[in-house]
Amino acid sequence: MTPLNSVGHREPRIDALLRVTGKAEYTGDVKLPGMLYARLLRSPHPHARIRSIDTSKAAALPGVRAILTKDNCDTVWSSGDTLGQRKLFNNPLRFTGEAVAAIAAVNRHVAEEAMALIQVDYEVLPFVLDVDKAMEDGAPEIHPGGNLSPNNQRRREPQTYKRGDAAKGVAEADRVFESSFTSSHHNNAQMELRTSLAYWEGSKLTVYASTQGIANCQRDIAKDLNIAEPNVRVICHYMGGGFGNKNQSHDFDLFAALLAKEAKAPVKVEFTRKEDFVAVHGRWSSKQSYKIGVKNDGTLTSIQMTARTGAGAYRKSSCDLSGTEIYQVPNLETATTPIYTNTAVAANYRAPAYPQGVFGIESAIDDVAYALKMDPLEFRLKNMTRKFRDQTPYTSFGLEDCLRKGAEAFGWKQRWKPVAGSGTGPVKRGAGMAMGMFGSALGRSSAVAKVDAKGNYSIHVGVTDCGTAAKTTMGLIAAEELGVPLNKVTVVWGDTDTCPYSVGESGSRTTVQTGEAVIAAVKDLKKMIAEKGMPTGTNDLVAMVTTNPAAIAGASRQSFVAHFAEVEVNVETGHIAVVKFTAAHDSGRIINPLTAESQVQGGAIQGIGMALHEELRYDPRSGQPLNAGYYGARIMTHMDAPKVDVLWIETEDAYGPFGAKTLGEPTIIPTVAAVGNAIYNAIGKRMRNLPMTRERVLEVLA
Amino acid sequence: MDWQRLYTGAIRLKNKAMAPPLLRALTDNNIDNGWGESSMKISRRVILEGTGAGLVAATVPLSAQQVSVAAVPVAVPKTSIRLTVNGQAQSIEVEDRWTLVEVLRDHLQLTGTKIGCDRGECGACTVLVNGKAVYACSQLAVWMDGRTVQTIEGLAQGTKLDPLQEAFIAHDAPQCGYCTSGQLMAAKALLNENPKPTRDQVRAGMTGNLCRCSNYNHYVEAVMAAAGTLTNGGVA
Repeated sequence: MTPLNSVGHREPRIDALLRVTGKAEYTGDVKLPGMLYARLLRSPHPHARIRSIDTSKAAALPGVRAILTKDNCDTVWSSGDTLGQRKLFNNPLRFTGEAVAAIAAVNRHVAEEAMALIQVDYEVLPFVLDVDKAMEDGAPEIHPGGNLSPNNQRRREPQTYKRGDAAKGVAEADRVFESSFTSSHHNNAQMELRTSLAYWEGSKLTVYASTQGIANCQRDIAKDLNIAEPNVRVICHYMGGGFGNKNQSHDFDLFAALLAKEAKAPVKVEFTRKEDFVAVHGRWSSKQSYKIGVKNDGTLTSIQMTARTGAGAYRKSSCDLSGTEIYQVPNLETATTPIYTNTAVAANYRAPAYPQGVFGIESAIDDVAYALKMDPLEFRLKNMTRKFRDQTPYTSFGLEDCLRKGAEAFGWKQRWKPVAGSGTGPVKRGAGMAMGMFGSALGRSSAVAKVDAKGNYSIHVGVTDCGTAAKTTMGLIAAEELGVPLNKVTVVWGDTDTCPYSVGESGSRTTVQTGEAVIAAVKDLKKMIAEKGMPTGTNDLVAMVTTNPAAIAGASRQSFVAHFAEVEVNVETGHIAVVKFTAAHDSGRIINPLTAESQVQGGAIQGIGMALHEELRYDPRSGQPLNAGYYGARIMTHMDAPKVDVLWIETEDAYGPFGAKTLGEPTIIPTVAAVGNAIYNAIGKRMRNLPMTRERVLEVLA
Repeated sequence: MDWQRLYTGAIRLKNKAMAPPLLRALTDNNIDNGWGESSMKISRRVILEGTGAGLVAATVPLSAQQVSVAAVPVAVPKTSIRLTVNGQAQSIEVEDRWTLVEVLRDHLQLTGTKIGCDRGECGACTVLVNGKAVYACSQLAVWMDGRTVQTIEGLAQGTKLDPLQEAFIAHDAPQCGYCTSGQLMAAKALLNENPKPTRDQVRAGMTGNLCRCSNYNHYVEAVMAAAGTLTNGGVA
């Protein structure tokens, strides 16, 4: 791979100084004159109908300026579900924590006091928490028509994929394996609380949002409030993480806008940490079953997967499962059915459909390999995908190197035990691995490139930088294409009034899609400079480009990944420690190895938390969430986090900015499965349920 | 502990409908009835108030409280305090229910200190009080009378960054950056006590500071680099 001047070198973030001095202004730090503070009153019941709401006492409390309930607000929050029907205030209420009233007051204490003065008469309804029970006859109906969630074509049917004939594949197999796995709802738990600050100047609405995508946030707010998009300005200069649950507009953006209109003053909505865990969304849970046919020589003949996933009270995303795509197999059938329950809503969290699906298939495959007395690494090398859906070639393919070179760097041969559970002593060691892939398609984005008479370049991009270093990435791409050092390029970001469309930091699309737009804008600018010469006086040259590349014909563009984990399991206490971890990633050319390393290490450590600890639990009798918050969620801490070694498999890819492919989401895809497979290697027992807690370790050993 | 008194104290702030979850929140932090978040917050304030000026209100009969809450402005007890923040003497009248982080962010405009949970779980609000790391969300402002507080804004000496800040930049310690102020202040407190920590000592010293981007590897390397204990490959 040809070395480049700016791209490919370890470069500190362009905004790092502001981040380490406390000067980076996050949404919650913005304060406007006369600003009011808003709080939400929420349902104490998992399922209830509101008979009446009396806000008179709250309204009479001095300092209260506006109150919204279902009685005076029927605004639809269209990105709140895939059907575009969910309202800000719904009746009946379908989960504990669903919004009942929003209150704006002169300060947050008065708003909280007013909450307690609102009297709500609830008709408590029967509820259901479990996806299987929700499908039984006589289960409480959460939405009219039943608990099987309709897809975005409004059909109540599973999401399916089929190639070949699974029954035929099973008939051709020498051996057939069946197994089942479950995964739990767990929360994105980004550090920044949810907040939104809105104010109106006549018909123009400005929202300081905490969003992964200023453009889609603007689009959705404009749609739901029925105003023209240019009349909505969304600003997000610094945001404290999202991992998928701060994309599009959120109800707090709409609450802020509507309360601000009602109160005729800027309003800042603040959610508490508990509200973040229960009332926004987390990763969907799953119950998965596999039937796998294989020849005695280890060749896969058939994979069937059926699953139910937990959408929660509203369907806010696909609720699908991924993972089986990483295998070459002539006969593959999958069917995933999202189910409503009276629990927190499930939607996107870093590689939404992947780590739980990959946990299922990669655990099942591991069992097959051990049963055939094959090294799981060799089994994967034999059966891994080589063409997308066994049909379409990849634009670049680094999976084999991720497996081979990753295994070498990790020391697979020394660490993996041919006989699982063969270690001695109360602390047993074992090694496991798993693999994955993630789409890296091209797509629409825009960028502006500008130069002034002094030779200062600026790039305007609609990114917010949710922690990925997107601004720095865009600066590096521009600097490379311009042939100037990074410090000659100013990046302008995070404001819909000054930045053009960007896709939003989801689907790991920013580097590829907005990066391509930056290159195109810079190329145009260079052409203008060549034709007209550099600008003089107070003139600027400005190039604005929207790139909307056609789908790549006859090829599929994917990132690939393999993770390797070594664990120590204490068979007396059930305690699991991940002691070595190697992450091998083919994300094409790495634009900034320093910040990319952060992403991989962070994604893998998040995945270890998902594997071992994280789950939102409900009391089955009351339907109440029991552990909403950081202590209860048990996210990873400094003491839990192992060193993650990162290995770049930089394949040459003809597409994307300098050949870059997606990275942010692949970092968590195989982690959970790799840890589970390492535990199996250590103790000789298969962990079938996430999270793989101490109790569950002791259970399988009992 | 006098539960009845705390309970009555809560009524001063909220109406009696909040009482059952409040009592439960006081006795068990993890299980709350209904929508218990505000009761969690009350419980903290009530406990805090029980130690301060709010006790007076606890003796007022319940029925009178109910009427007063609905009809007239609640008289919130206030106290004047003096403290030093980042080397500057401050004299400020605080509501007794205000926490230190509220005073810093809302009244002294020091928004570099972040709120991640507002309940002592995450460490985003870590500041130094008399040189020791504390969660500013879990300290009442009235307790700060006579204390010296250092926040992220006071870490650099003018334009000269602290070695920790330099190392945090070079090692890409912040991803989203929201926990970074707290991580830096926790690291500062750690190095104040142990200038040459090993990797495990850094991890133990900072384990009260969560990072959901989970950039723990780079945080630890940065702290060790600042301390001069980082060797090749980041292994101490």
